[in-house]
Amino acid sequence: MSGGLTFDSSRIGRAARRGVPLAVIWLVLAGGGGEALVVGAIIVPLATWLSLFLLPGGVPLRFGPLAALFPRFVWQSLIGGIDVARRAFHPQLPIRPGRLRIAVALPEGGRVALGGELSLMPGTLAAGCDGDHLLVHVLDLDHDIEAAVREEERRVRGTINRARTSGGVT
Amino acid sequence: MLADALTIVLTGTGMLFFFAGTAGIIRFPDTLSRLHALTKADNVGLGLLILGLAFQAPDLLTLGKLALVWALALVAAGTTAQLVARSAWQSGEQSAERSADAHDPAESTLRGDP
Repeated sequence: MSGGLTFDSSRIGRAARRGVPLAVIWLVLAGGGGEALVVGAIIVPLATWLSLFLLPGGVPLRFGPLAALFPRFVWQSLIGGIDVARRAFHPQLPIRPGRLRIAVALPEGGRVALGGELSLMPGTLAAGCDGDHLLVHVLDLDHDIEAAVREEERRVRGTINRARTSGGVT
Repeated sequence: MLADALTIVLTGTGMLFFFAGTAGIIRFPDTLSRLHALTKADNVGLGLLILGLAFQAPDLLTLGKLALVWALALVAAGTTAQLVARSAWQSGEQSAERSADAHDPAESTLRGDP
């Protein structure tokens, strides 16, 4: 509740950025009936407050460019699923697993986004970060994984909100 | 009629991917490789399942709920996969320090009980 009584425009803007998606989620879950709206009118502000309390820093990603990456992400994850399904069913089990440490010049939020993306793409699985190195487990070392990761890193860089993470990008 | 056919084909194919994910868990040699199968194959399986069910949705609200289920499961799976992977990675490094043997004893015991 700290400072809950002092309102300024940036705080209201931040609350709206959190609250509107939560309100949409509530409407989808509960429908637009009268009682659901009453409960939502209590729950959504509470959830918004909790979200701001737990993650006050804001989400360091820009959602426009992120949405632009979405079709490619869906396509790549489909390829990833087909690839791993083929290997799982193949009698000879054609995998050559290994571990790579790849230096990534992205701020924290970007590295996590890149990791999540890589985990659904063909052949790569992110295992967190060690400093500014991304730990990547590879299902088949015969593929040129590093070039693929570089390519994804370049795409993810476009979704980083520089205004909120200034100094983090090298 | 066409919607029913699409539902059967899409959910059926989705089940194949869940089956592939399970085959991967059993057949792949170590924790990290198994995670590949789980995250990627099950993600596609769920996507096809949701897409197939979408053709049976009576209204937009149900469609929205299906999309929400898909999105939340995707975020949850992606996050937990990274957490499990990080933990498996670290225990792998520790066992590599413990012995020069390439085989991870913890993973060998895992291999014994599918």
